[in-house]
Amino acid sequence: MEGVSKMTGEKTFYQEYEVFSKRTPNSTFQHQFSLLAPNEDMALVLAQENFMRREPVADIWIVNRKNVRKMDAEEKMTLGRLDNKEYRTTKGYGYLKKKWRQYEQQVLDEKEILSWGGERQ
Amino acid sequence: MSTTENSMSAEYKEAITHLLFQLADDDFLYAFRGSEWLGLAPHIEEDVASSSISQDSMGHAAMFYHLLEDLGVGKADDLAHLRPAQDRNNSILTERVNGEGYYMETPQYDWAYQVVRSYFYTQAKKVKVDSLCHSSYKPVAEVAIKVKMELYYHKLHWETWFKQLMSSTDVAKKKMNDAITVVMNDFGDVFSFGNLKPKIESNNLLDSEEEMKKRWHASIGPVFEALQMEEPAIPNHPVMNGRNGEHTKDLDEALLTLSEVYKLDPVAVW
Amino acid sequence: MTSLHNSEEEKLAHFMHRIEAGDKIEADDWMPEEYRLTLIKLISMHGISEIMGALPEKEWVPKAPSLSRKLGIMAKVQDEMGHGQLLLRVTEDLLKPYGKNRGDLMQDLFNGDLKFHNVFHMKTTTWADAGIIGWLVDGAAIITQTNMLGASYGPYGRALQRICAEEVFHAQHGESIIMALAEGTENQKAMIQESINYWWESLLMFFGPASKETTGSSKQDLTIKYKIRTKTNEEFRQLFFDKYIPRILSLGLTIPDSTIKFDADSKIWTYKQPDWNEFKKIIKNEGPRSQERLNLRRTSYENNAWVRDALSAVVN
Repeated sequence: MEGVSKMTGEKTFYQEYEVFSKRTPNSTFQHQFSLLAPNEDMALVLAQENFMRREPVADIWIVNRKNVRKMDAEEKMTLGRLDNKEYRTTKGYGYLKKKWRQYEQQVLDEKEILSWGGERQ
Repeated sequence: MSTTENSMSAEYKEAITHLLFQLADDDFLYAFRGSEWLGLAPHIEEDVASSSISQDSMGHAAMFYHLLEDLGVGKADDLAHLRPAQDRNNSILTERVNGEGYYMETPQYDWAYQVVRSYFYTQAKKVKVDSLCHSSYKPVAEVAIKVKMELYYHKLHWETWFKQLMSSTDVAKKKMNDAITVVMNDFGDVFSFGNLKPKIESNNLLDSEEEMKKRWHASIGPVFEALQMEEPAIPNHPVMNGRNGEHTKDLDEALLTLSEVYKLDPVAVW
Repeated sequence: MTSLHNSEEEKLAHFMHRIEAGDKIEADDWMPEEYRLTLIKLISMHGISEIMGALPEKEWVPKAPSLSRKLGIMAKVQDEMGHGQLLLRVTEDLLKPYGKNRGDLMQDLFNGDLKFHNVFHMKTTTWADAGIIGWLVDGAAIITQTNMLGASYGPYGRALQRICAEEVFHAQHGESIIMALAEGTENQKAMIQESINYWWESLLMFFGPASKETTGSSKQDLTIKYKIRTKTNEEFRQLFFDKYIPRILSLGLTIPDSTIKFDADSKIWTYKQPDWNEFKKIIKNEGPRSQERLNLRRTSYENNAWVRDALSAVVN
C-alpha cells in the first residue's frame, strides 16, 4: 500500500512530475502543472489528457520535481534590478531616427532588420 | 468498386451495412464500458486520461453510425439506442461487464481486466482501421484515416499499463494473467465478420479475417517476447458470435441503461 | 529573507505586507500556520468535492439521451476529476510540512475528517438533474470560484484559472440540456421543474450560512482576512440570485419559494432560509446519498490498492 513519502528510501506510487508542453513546433515550452505518477513513462502517458486536452500540443516534457533546482526566498532577492539599463536596449538610441532623416536614410529598427530574413525586396 | 449509393449493388450495400454495424457497435459498447470506470480508476490522473479514450471511442462509434445514416439505414441516435440485442453486431468482448455489481450501486471492477481488454481491443481495432484506410468504400476509408490518428495514443496508453503491470508484483501478474485468459475466451469473434464474411471480403471492404489475425499477432508479438511470455491464441471457433447477433445478458442490461432516457420519448428532442 | 526577518513577528509583518501589496504567496514561501491551515481546509474540501461530485453526474453518463449528450457529459465528468487533480496537487504541496500525501487525504475522506460540499450528498432521479447540476450547481460554483481567481495563494489562483476556463463549457453544457427540456414536451418541462424544486434548498446551502452564528463555524472571516476571497457567503448568494433567478423565470419555470423578492432600493433579495440543521447533518455525511457515495469511493479505492502497490517504486 502506498504510504508516507517524505522519508527517503520508501516505496511510493506518488512521485511528483512537472509537465511542460509547447503548442506548435515553433513555440517555446511552457510549464503547465504538476501530476503524480509512479514513474516517468506513466507520467508522460498521463500528461497530455490531464492538462492539454483542449489545446494543440506539439511536444511534452516531463521533469521529476526532485530534479528541479528552485530558488528560496533569499535567492529571489538576487532578481532585483535597477531600471537604468537603457544602454542595453534601443531605448538609449532613440535619437538616431531623427539623425538619419537628415541624411535621407532610415534607422535600422527592429521591424526593418527582422524583415531581412524574408525575400529581397 | 462503386462507392455511391445509387450505383451500389444490393450485395455490396448489405456487406458494408453489416460491417459498419460491427464497427459502430464495437466502439459504442467499448466506450460505454470504459465510461463506467469514470471516477473509479486506481489513480485520479489515470481517471482523467482514460476518460479521453472512452470519449474518442464514443466519437468513433458516432462517426460509424452516421455513415449508416448516410446510407439511409436510419437515424444515428436511433441506431445507437433503439436496436435490441439480437440486432447488434458487436463482439462479445466489448459487451462484457467490468466486474461484478451494478454501476449505480457499489460495483467491484477489475482494473487488470480493463487494461487487458483495452489493450487487446485497441490492437485489434488498429489492425482493422489500418486496413479500412484502403477500403473500397471511400466514406469508411475517410473515417478510418481520422480514427487512426487517435489510436496512437490509445495504444501507447494501454501498452504502457500492460507492460508495467506485467513487470511488477506477483499479485499484479496473477491478476493480469487471469484477465488474459478471460479476454481471450471472448476473442473468437473479434476478427469475425460473421455470416457476411464472404460478401465483406470479396467486395474488398477490408482484409480477410485470417490476414488481420496474423497482423494482430505480429503487433503484440514483440511486447510478449520482451516480457518473456507466450502469446495467447485466438480461439478458432467463438463460443458465441456477436457478429451474428449472439449475445450475453450483459448486453441486454447494458442496453437498458444506455437507452433508458432516450426510450422515454424517442421522438422528443433531448 | 531569513536574514532580514528573523523573529516570527517580523516574518508575519512581512507576509501580511506582501498580501496587502497583492503579491502572490508560493508553496515554498514562509507563511503563518493559520494561513496554511486555512488554505488546506478550503482547498482540500474544494478538491475532494470535485472528486465526489463526479459520482452523481457519472450516474447519467451512459443514460444520456443521445450520442452527443453522452459525449458532452463524459467530458464534463472528466473535467470534474481533472479539477480534483489540480486542487489536490495544490493541497498536497501545502501538506508537505505535515508529511501527508494523497493517500492520507483519501483516508481523511473515508473517516469523515475531510468533508465534501452538501450538493454532492444529494440523489439524482432524472436526466433533468444532470442538467440542473450543470446549470445551477456549477453556476453556484462559478460564483465562488471566480471570486478567488485573484487569491493571495498563487498556486490556488493558477488552478482556478484552468478550472474557470472549463466552467464556461460546463455552464453551457448545463444550459443546453435545460434549454432542450424547457422547449420540449410537457413531461420534459415537468422534469426540470421537479428538479429545481428538489435542488433549490441545496443551492442556497452551497454558499454556506451568512454568519457563523447559524451553524457554529465559518471560515469566511479568515479567507477574507488573508485575501483568499473578497466576498462573504451572503454576497455570493445574492449574486447567484441576480444571475440565475431571471434566467430561471424566463424559461417559464418557478422558484419553489413564494416569499422570494427583490428590493430595488437596497438591491437585496429576501428569501426563505434553508433548513440549516439539515445542512449540518448533510455535511456530517448524513445526507440522502452520503454513505452510498463514500462507500463507492472507498470500495473502488481499496479494490485498486493492488495497482498502486504494483507500480510503487523506491524513491530516494
